[in-house]
Parts: sequence; structure tokens; C-alpha cells
Amino acid sequence: MDSLATPLEVVARPQLDLELRGIRKRYGDFTAVDDVSLQVAKGQFVCLLGPSGCGKTTTLRCVAGLEEPDDGGILIGGKEVTKDPPWQRDIAMMFQDFALFPHMTVARQVGFGLEMLKKPKAEIARRVQEVLKAFEISPLADRKPGSLSGGQRQRVALARAMITEPRILLLDEPIGALDYSLRETVMLELKMLQQRTGISFIWVTHDQNEAFSLGDLVVVMNHAKIEQQGTAEEILQRPATAFVAGFVQGNNVFHGRITGTSPDALQVETSAGRFYLPRPVRCTPMLGDAVSFSVRAERITDSLSDRHANRLSARCTAVEYFGSVRRHIFERPDGQVLKYDQFGAYAARIAPGQTVQLGWLVEETVLHTGAVA
Amino acid sequence: MTGGPKIGWKGRSSLTAWILGTLTVIFLAYQWLPILTLGLLSFSGPTGGTTFPMNGTSFHWYQELWRASVMNDFKPPLMRSVLLALACSATTVVLSVAAAQAMRGQFRGSGWFFYLMLLGIMAPGILVGFGFAILMRLIGVELSWDTTTFLVQVSWTLPFGFLTMLAVFNRFDKRVEEAALTLGASRLKTFRRITLPLVLPGVIGAGLFGFSLSYDEYARSMFTTGPDATLPLAVMAQLDRQLTPEIYAVGTTTTIFSLIAVMLCTVAFWAMRRSTALRKS
Repeated sequence: MDSLATPLEVVARPQLDLELRGIRKRYGDFTAVDDVSLQVAKGQFVCLLGPSGCGKTTTLRCVAGLEEPDDGGILIGGKEVTKDPPWQRDIAMMFQDFALFPHMTVARQVGFGLEMLKKPKAEIARRVQEVLKAFEISPLADRKPGSLSGGQRQRVALARAMITEPRILLLDEPIGALDYSLRETVMLELKMLQQRTGISFIWVTHDQNEAFSLGDLVVVMNHAKIEQQGTAEEILQRPATAFVAGFVQGNNVFHGRITGTSPDALQVETSAGRFYLPRPVRCTPMLGDAVSFSVRAERITDSLSDRHANRLSARCTAVEYFGSVRRHIFERPDGQVLKYDQFGAYAARIAPGQTVQLGWLVEETVLHTGAVA
Repeated sequence: MTGGPKIGWKGRSSLTAWILGTLTVIFLAYQWLPILTLGLLSFSGPTGGTTFPMNGTSFHWYQELWRASVMNDFKPPLMRSVLLALACSATTVVLSVAAAQAMRGQFRGSGWFFYLMLLGIMAPGILVGFGFAILMRLIGVELSWDTTTFLVQVSWTLPFGFLTMLAVFNRFDKRVEEAALTLGASRLKTFRRITLPLVLPGVIGAGLFGFSLSYDEYARSMFTTGPDATLPLAVMAQLDRQLTPEIYAVGTTTTIFSLIAVMLCTVAFWAMRRSTALRKS
């Protein structure tokens, strides 16, 4: 894989909270995690994003020590922990359905981590009080999880995980079990909490809105491998593979073959026509290579000028209106589907059934350099 | 709907309710009337027989039971049976929890292990007992209620406890254990603080199975007990010799003791639940 994905150049802090060195995990014939390497700087908010079964949760469980990788190494705070059991790692974990202890009161389970550290009783009681207050769950201290609402459980789980101030907090779909209306608020709270405490968060999710709005670093996984890692902008604007381009919203993905090269451009032949791409700096595509590229839906236009070297005609099949954006869906006889987003409250110009000339600039076209399509 | 009050699909017509209610009452009577009959007859007069009419009422047979002669003294067998049942119960609890825990982790041959465990339920008791006795004689082990009978009975009670614990662990959310592990609890601590309290109802169930199945076991004890009989053997021996209401007194007494034991268990369980609920950090 080409090293488009080097987010750590951006974060120039020397000490790493977490480092994964080519970890691998197999279950029989199924490879759940394949050669995953990752570096998490101190206090970074990392989101592992991918469809279900892509290996993101298994990766998280390897960091927690709940799974032992078959291969590769895990370092937490610079210390090798690959073979260490979970209880000896400087981490805490928040589970998808929170996994609260049903037989313990809120106060008791929030204090559980400190109890395991053999802290004096008085200190535990004092810290529990503080933490319950900080998470605004003091009134629930004597209740058991069975009688709590989803939002309350989430707070208890978070308080329980944070009380020992671990180096890394692992979160497995932490807001997936919450009501939709609660999620936005909770996301914001968690982000602020993370920034305030400086604890590294590793957040597993399949929801790209969560990943892109929260993560300092977003790691997109598919089929047990990392497809791309980088900031939200990098992944949204410069997808490294056809999978990433297709997985994040708003990309039009094309597959084709290189039919011409010049010092600053590539010519690619696809079933939808011939397109021009800026020549990438870091890799050297060869004539005849199968490649994929993408263009974002909002970069396409139907008011063409001479500068729009990439053009095609397509029939509009649907128009969706979202208030701030009008999305047009187009289809071509060769099967290529196109999305074209028009921002602002303009009157509709294109109606379903119409065939329209669309185009975009060469520099808006992104060659996927991370994988051969 | 025409005629009669409308019943929702979740409701039940009064006719169905009557039929089901009657069946339930008949079933419960069928279960309890024999015991009540024996209980009643155990209070018959000194000249009373083992059937109705009762020939007066008295505590005669209970007094007989108390100052029994050497020939028909039920107290030592009762003592043995209770000790044996307690030992079986404790052993069943420990082994069935351990075996069910092992089954959670799917080891090599766990399928075979499962069926071999269940063999204890399927195999006819009288053959198991007989076979065991022959085997013990072969290797020269003295038969006795507290060694050979204990072993045979555990092979009988263990599968019941094992199945109970399997069912309990089946519904067990292993992520609460994982949460404890990530919060710094070792495996042993996690078992003690999280797993055990959560499966405790099942553990108590396994213990009760162990006790009650051992307490009235006859077939497996018959050939393996040696000279000192357990209660079921002593009762059968007495039935062979002479049938008096004293047997009924034995039955009634032990039934009452069993009920008291179960009640104590239940009360202790609730008390414990309450105390953990009220305990604060």
C-alpha cells in the first residue's frame, strides 16, 4: 500500500499511546484481522470505521487483551503488552450494550475498577462520589442497572470505565444502543470529555457521520485490512481505494484502464467514456493498468465550460431534496450510476427522465492509489 | 363479534380458564394426595394398620420411631442419608459448575464429553449400581455408603446439575465478565465477583438436585452400600419385614425436613440478595 496514509506527519508528538505492529487474527479459515498497523498519538481520538464484519471490533478486542493476535505486536504507552491479560493493561473498555453488572448498584460498579486496584475504602467512596457527580448520576448511586434508562446506563458505563483514568479508552459502538435523539448530544459530550481528560479514545463504529465528526484520525477497514487512515478531510476528499470511495457518502466511482500518460495527466478509458486525471506524485501508473477513480457528487456540474474536460451524458432517474442540498441520481446505459449534488436553494433545473450533459474538472478527479481496482 | 363480551387475543374465555384451572388442581392433588394420605395414616392409633380406617389418632408411631430398637432404628440410616445427600449436593455443585464452565470454552472432544456426562441420566440405575459393585469387588474395594455409594450417586446427580448450569450459562452475557477483566479484575476475581453471583440461582438449583436425587436413591445404593444402610434401603428392609405406620412416620418426618431445608435455602437466598442489594460501597 502506498503511504498516502501517514497522518502522523500531522501529529508530531513523539510519544505514542498505542501502537499496533502488523497484528493478525484468524478463526479457523476466517481471517478477522489481517496485518493491521496503527499508531495512536497521546490523547488522540481515533475512529475505526467499517462495515460489519470488517475486523474493527476484533482489532479493538486485541487491544483490550480479550483476544490474542496470532501475529504482530501491541504496545501501550511504549510497553509491549501483546501477551498481557486485559487486567494488566492500562485501558478501559465501553461495550456496545454497556455490559453493566446487573447485580451491583451504580455506586458499587463505578467503584469496581478502583476496588480491583486495592485502593483504600475511603478513597474509593470519595472518588465514586466525585465521578458520579461529574457524570450527573449521583441520584442513581443506589439503583441497579435494571431500573435505568438507556442514557443513564451509558453514563454509568462511561463513569465505570473512566474512574481509573486509563491511558486508552476503547469504545465499541458506544452510542449505537442509544435513542437517535440522544446521539448528537452524547457525541458532543464525549468529544469534550476526551479533549478535557487527554485520554486516547479508540472508537469503533459503522456510522461514518460519527467517525468523521469525532475522529482526529479515521481508520477505514474492510475485509480485515485497513483500507485508508487519515483525517476526515483526507478520507472524504482523497479516498485511497475504490472501497473507501464507495463506502463514504457522496462519491462517484469509476473503473477503467490507463490508455495514455503525460507528465501531468493520465487518460483513463472506462465503459462510461474517456476521462482525464491529474497524475499522482507518489506512484507511477503504467499504460494499461486497471485503475479506479472517483469524483465527489458536489464537484459535478451541469453548466459546462471549456475547462470541464471530463464529460458524460446521463439520464436523470431521481431527485432527492434535503433542504440544503438537492441530490440528482443519474444512470447511463452502461450501468454507471452518478450522483450530482446541487447546494443552495436554487429552483430545480433537472427533472427525472431528462438526459443531461454533466462534467467536472480534471483536478477534481481522484485516482485511487491505495489499491489496484 | 356477536354475543358475549369481546375478548382480546391475549385474553382467555372463562370456559378455557375453568378447564385449565381444573386440570391444574387435579394435577396438584395427584401429586400431593399420596403424601397427605401417608401423613394422615402416620397419626393412627397404636392398634392402627397401614390402611383406612385409622383406629384412633395418636403420636404412637412417632414415639416408636424415636425409641426404636436395634432392629428397626431409622436414626442412623437417616443420619447417613442426610450426610450422603449433603456430600453429593456439594460435589455436584462444584463439579457441575466446573464442567459447564469448561463447556463454554468448546474444547477438543467437548461434544463427546457432553454425551458421556448425560450417560449418567440414561443408564438404568440398577445396572449401574450392580456393575459398580462388581467392579469394586474386582479391584478389592470395600463397599460402604460413604465411599462407593457416594461415587455412584454423584455419577447420577452430576448430569442434572451439569444440565442446569449449562442452561444458566447459555443465557449468560459473557460481556459482563469481559467488562470486569478490562476493569482490572483477574479471572479468579471475575469469577468470584461477577460470574458466581449472577449464576447463583442455578448453583442453588444444582445443589438441590444433588441433595434430593441422592437422598431418596434406592437402585444405585442397593448393591454398593455395604453393611450400613441408607434410609431408602432401611425403609425397604422394614417393608419386607413388617409393615406398620411407623414407615409412614418416617416418610412424613423426612418430607417435612426436606420442606424445611428447601425453605431455609430460599430464605437464605433472598436474604443474601437483599444484603448485596443494600450494601453500599
